[in-house]
Amino acid sequence: MTGTSEGWVGRHFHRKEDHRLITGRGKFLADLARPGALHIVFKRSDHAHATIESIDVSAARAMAGVVAVVTGDDIKDEILPMPQPVVQPALPATYPKHWPLAVGKVKWHGEPVAAVVARDPYIAADAAEAIEVAYDPLPYVGDPESALAEGATIVHEDWPDNVIFQMDFTGGADEESQKAHEAKVQEVFDSADIVLKQRFTCHRCGVAPMETRGALFEWDESDGLTGWLTTQRPHIDRLALSDILEIPAEKVRIIAPRDQGGGFGVKAPFYREPMLIAYMAKKLGRPVRWIETRQEHLMAVSQERDQIHDLEVAAASDGKLLAIRDRGIADCGDGCEGVYWGFLMPFLGAVELPNAYDWPIGDIKVKVAITNKSALSPARAFGEFPTRFAMERAIDMVAKRCGMEPADMRRKNLVATLPHMSITNEYFDSGDFIKVWDNLMAEADLPGFRARQAEARAEGRYLGIGFGLGVELSGVASELFVPMENQPGYGAATVRLDPRGKVLVFEGDAPGGQGHETTVAQAVAQSFGIHPNDVVVTTGDTGTTPFGSGTVGARAGSYFVSAAVQACEFLKDKIGRIMAHDLALADTSPADFEFRDGFVTYQKDTNIKKTFREAVERVIMAPINLPEGESGGLEHTAFFEAEKPMIAFNADVCTVEVDIETGQFKILSWTTSEDVGQIINPQIVEGQMQGAIVQGLSNTMFEEFVYDENGQQLTADFENYKLATAADVPDIKVTHAPTPCPYTPLGSRGIGEGRPSDVPGTLCNAICDALEPFGIEITDLPLRPDSLWRKIQAARGAS
Amino acid sequence: MSTTTITVTINGEVFEETVPVRMLLVDFIRERAALTGTHIGCTYEGVCGACTVQIDGEAVKSCLMVAAQADGHEITTVEGLAQGGELSPLQRAFNEQHALQCGYCTPGILMNMDEFLRENPDPTDEEIRHGLVGNLCRCTGYAHIVDAVRQAAKETR
Amino acid sequence: MYPAPIDEYVRPATVADALAALGRYDEGDAVFVAGGQSLMQAVKARLVRPRCLIDLQSVSGLSGIDVGADGVRIGPMTRYAEIARDERLTGACAALRDAAGRVGDRQVRNRGTIGGSLCWNYVAACMPPTAIGLGASLELTAADGGTRTLAAEDFIGGPLETAREENEILTAITIPAAAGSAGSAYKKWGLVTDALPVIGVCVALEVADGRCASGRVAVGGLANGPTRSGAGEEALVGVAAGDGDGIAAALAKAADEIETQDDLWADSDYRKQLIRSLGAEVTATAFARAAG
Repeated sequence: MTGTSEGWVGRHFHRKEDHRLITGRGKFLADLARPGALHIVFKRSDHAHATIESIDVSAARAMAGVVAVVTGDDIKDEILPMPQPVVQPALPATYPKHWPLAVGKVKWHGEPVAAVVARDPYIAADAAEAIEVAYDPLPYVGDPESALAEGATIVHEDWPDNVIFQMDFTGGADEESQKAHEAKVQEVFDSADIVLKQRFTCHRCGVAPMETRGALFEWDESDGLTGWLTTQRPHIDRLALSDILEIPAEKVRIIAPRDQGGGFGVKAPFYREPMLIAYMAKKLGRPVRWIETRQEHLMAVSQERDQIHDLEVAAASDGKLLAIRDRGIADCGDGCEGVYWGFLMPFLGAVELPNAYDWPIGDIKVKVAITNKSALSPARAFGEFPTRFAMERAIDMVAKRCGMEPADMRRKNLVATLPHMSITNEYFDSGDFIKVWDNLMAEADLPGFRARQAEARAEGRYLGIGFGLGVELSGVASELFVPMENQPGYGAATVRLDPRGKVLVFEGDAPGGQGHETTVAQAVAQSFGIHPNDVVVTTGDTGTTPFGSGTVGARAGSYFVSAAVQACEFLKDKIGRIMAHDLALADTSPADFEFRDGFVTYQKDTNIKKTFREAVERVIMAPINLPEGESGGLEHTAFFEAEKPMIAFNADVCTVEVDIETGQFKILSWTTSEDVGQIINPQIVEGQMQGAIVQGLSNTMFEEFVYDENGQQLTADFENYKLATAADVPDIKVTHAPTPCPYTPLGSRGIGEGRPSDVPGTLCNAICDALEPFGIEITDLPLRPDSLWRKIQAARGAS
Repeated sequence: MSTTTITVTINGEVFEETVPVRMLLVDFIRERAALTGTHIGCTYEGVCGACTVQIDGEAVKSCLMVAAQADGHEITTVEGLAQGGELSPLQRAFNEQHALQCGYCTPGILMNMDEFLRENPDPTDEEIRHGLVGNLCRCTGYAHIVDAVRQAAKETR
Repeated sequence: MYPAPIDEYVRPATVADALAALGRYDEGDAVFVAGGQSLMQAVKARLVRPRCLIDLQSVSGLSGIDVGADGVRIGPMTRYAEIARDERLTGACAALRDAAGRVGDRQVRNRGTIGGSLCWNYVAACMPPTAIGLGASLELTAADGGTRTLAAEDFIGGPLETAREENEILTAITIPAAAGSAGSAYKKWGLVTDALPVIGVCVALEVADGRCASGRVAVGGLANGPTRSGAGEEALVGVAAGDGDGIAAALAKAADEIETQDDLWADSDYRKQLIRSLGAEVTATAFARAAG
């Protein structure tokens, strides 16, 4: 950390992004205008599973204002089918062939069947309505267990069964070693004092950002394809579109709008719709624009979780955890979704199942089934929302059998020494879990709460306290990212100094509200000793930014910021070398120059200094009399890859009161304890935590995608897919117990992606604690008053 | 397509436009007046509140009206909140309290809370949260929004 | 989504002009728009495809609240927000404020109207059961200028059904003045705050000597439309204000009597529980309000 001074990192600094957003001058995708842009509207399937007998587009095509109508048959020989290598993981799975529009049959209610391009969006909607599709219904495959059963209807007709992916995470690659491992685990279970065996199910729910998806593409024979796309990973989209449409990659430019209305994972896949928009723009030679409706969004994407776990835990009577066994099943939907294919979430969920507990051994297997639903698409707490719910509930249930406070059980079994390799080979690089936990317990005042709880119970009121904790990936190292998504994990940043002493930073990832413009400006300002307002950040344009795998997996605070700082250090070295040369200073290294308060100062004689602007201007504008071998100009791209994969850690406590007459409950308090390493912007960190926890609460209590017995999606609007309002959630208190990360230049850790994962367990633990007199254990989600009431009724009836 | 001619004042500026009868007010504001700070987050349900504007000073959802219904009325959008280049206390509080992340829901929240504070100059946190029911935010968890509205109330009183 | 094509928009200034506009179209082709907070959802979803929108915003005499000795008269175009903040609506009419103050959200309450809600009669709505519970009378005016008055419970049918004839418009809602001490209350439950009611209960009581002299219990959120519970009302008579067990027993009778349904939000049994728990709570509130 040579040459950096205290200052901007860790300081309250109001976001640079905000002014345009609070004055209505943000530029989201739907705000971008291109002269003559046409509008596309999709006709989507009314059936969950059916053969397409015919599509009559004649009425639609004849409408005034309609430019084109296309069906799957029109495009299947024009666009290469998916999968394509750049969006296909290097994991052994079966990858379903598909095009942007259904060909031959439909596999879920809402699948795109045809599309209308018209001069006016209202007309496009009229024309889409006028398309007549004749279907011959097929049996609906609606749940993963029956999809996996013998004799099940096969969704992808050229497959032998409905299994897209299965994996043994603990037993090795071959069957022999797996059998031997299973037997070893069984031995532990056979001799354990306590064995918990429980099924946990998590419903289908997701993220639903306030801005839906959208795309605007234009084609020009000389420049090629330019597309503005709601996306978290423009560079991957660019490569994938180039492959699918067979346009040379240098002729494809993808721009993620500077303002995106949230992503949370759902804007990370390579989806079907943008392929078609791009294709139509090229075919028609006119700009084509698509703004997804909320109904489309809730039918087609934002659906995650949806896993079942048959979990077993072996423990000693003193509360020491001995072994875990899990057989997970996930409902993938049709799996037709580039990058993720609906199964990467359950894959990572299984990897994360052990959480921060020190398991001696485990046996974890997962199977992912194709069904007639939309493919799972990523949601913050990627895959691990269900597994962490299962784990955090299981810990409480085991603690009860041991006669222990669940809090004590957690502390006893936390990984105490880092680094640590989990039983699923997840590397925990650094931090101090016990410190975070003890900080939480100081906030929680458990003895005080137990006293209040006892008093309340005497009055017939039911208070409860619940705990949970979670390890979160802090960026995804190439070590994991290459096999998982066939993409690099490094963070990339280009730092360009301006002759006027200002800094331009270019980021290939594409944020959607996380505050990258501010966070990186603070890091860069600290590095150069200037003001964050002198730093301008450009994101998400493949034409101007270095390659990045996208804004996914909490990469910014760990990988992207680190790359930017590395690039700054590189440029400071160069400035230092040239300054030493100019001043004819002997025995001087670049480290002898401090960048602070707008000056570059020689540390051995602080009278020798230049303003930052002078120092920079000299290298860029006056590249004469340079040291031998040195060139002019100040711009550098750094690719940061940490030595090891990194994590962040948190623990939560909440208190509740349950009304046993109705099963309704109120969350009285929520406190979290965090290790996010060195904080760069405290408000942004706090906002990430509060937002993530409330998303977790909303997922747990309100949101659920419901399909009826014929696979009709019943929850494709905000009246039926309920999100938490401000009046439904508590204030969230955020506290810190940081340990700087030794593997990043600032000690920062990326945070926020995995953060909702321990919320359902924490909340349900509190509810079960409140209802301890009734012996109620919650093992399935969502957590709704009616089901809770039913459990209370049953328990009261039984007693 | 059947049209009608309407006169609407938006942020003090008069628009006389011939529009399709079915054109939604939110589309009129975004496409005809080119004021794209007013956002759309629902299909037909009118639940999210991102399109909230003020009509004659009252916060309403511009996606649940056709433009013709606004004929003869005065509309204020988020672009009209700052006066003479000065942010309103509410806007400033949103920046200072980090009450927005992606900012997509923010214009609707500002337009609702701007009226709310005129009606409730000294609200409790519970009243603020209840006042926010018609605006969904997916990023912040609402806590900083409540902080910002409370700050603006304090500064305005 | 966008509305299907609409041919005409009119904004009449009088009831007669509004009805005349309606008369120019075949049945169902022209619709009245009051606040439009429910109707426009259906129009945008293309479940309703009007050829003509008749906007009632400028029709004179349809808005406002008059509180007189005979009772309260409310114009159908009166917005929820106006009802919710009208401090004159106490005692027998207090349930109106409970209901109006919790419809949807601020924006909806600024625009939506009591008359619109009653005429739309959505399955999950607050105004229909409240009007029934308060024994409201609804005045309808026909194209020929004639009027008729119906009790709310006779006007309101199953979901989306009312006794309004195609050539009629709702012109007033009146709630009779109570004879003695009277109180009412409304409360609903939905999964999120102020959501459409899974169950909403309105209870109105006349109280004499600290006991219920007569009561009305109306429930909304039902597949068959809002309804009164005769058994519950009967059981309330004679119950004393502080008699929690008596109140609970009466509401249990109401819950037993009323047919409830299963849907995404609650099953039939839980709806009955909501009738019991919400009902007991609003009954206690109604007693307290009757006591002043």
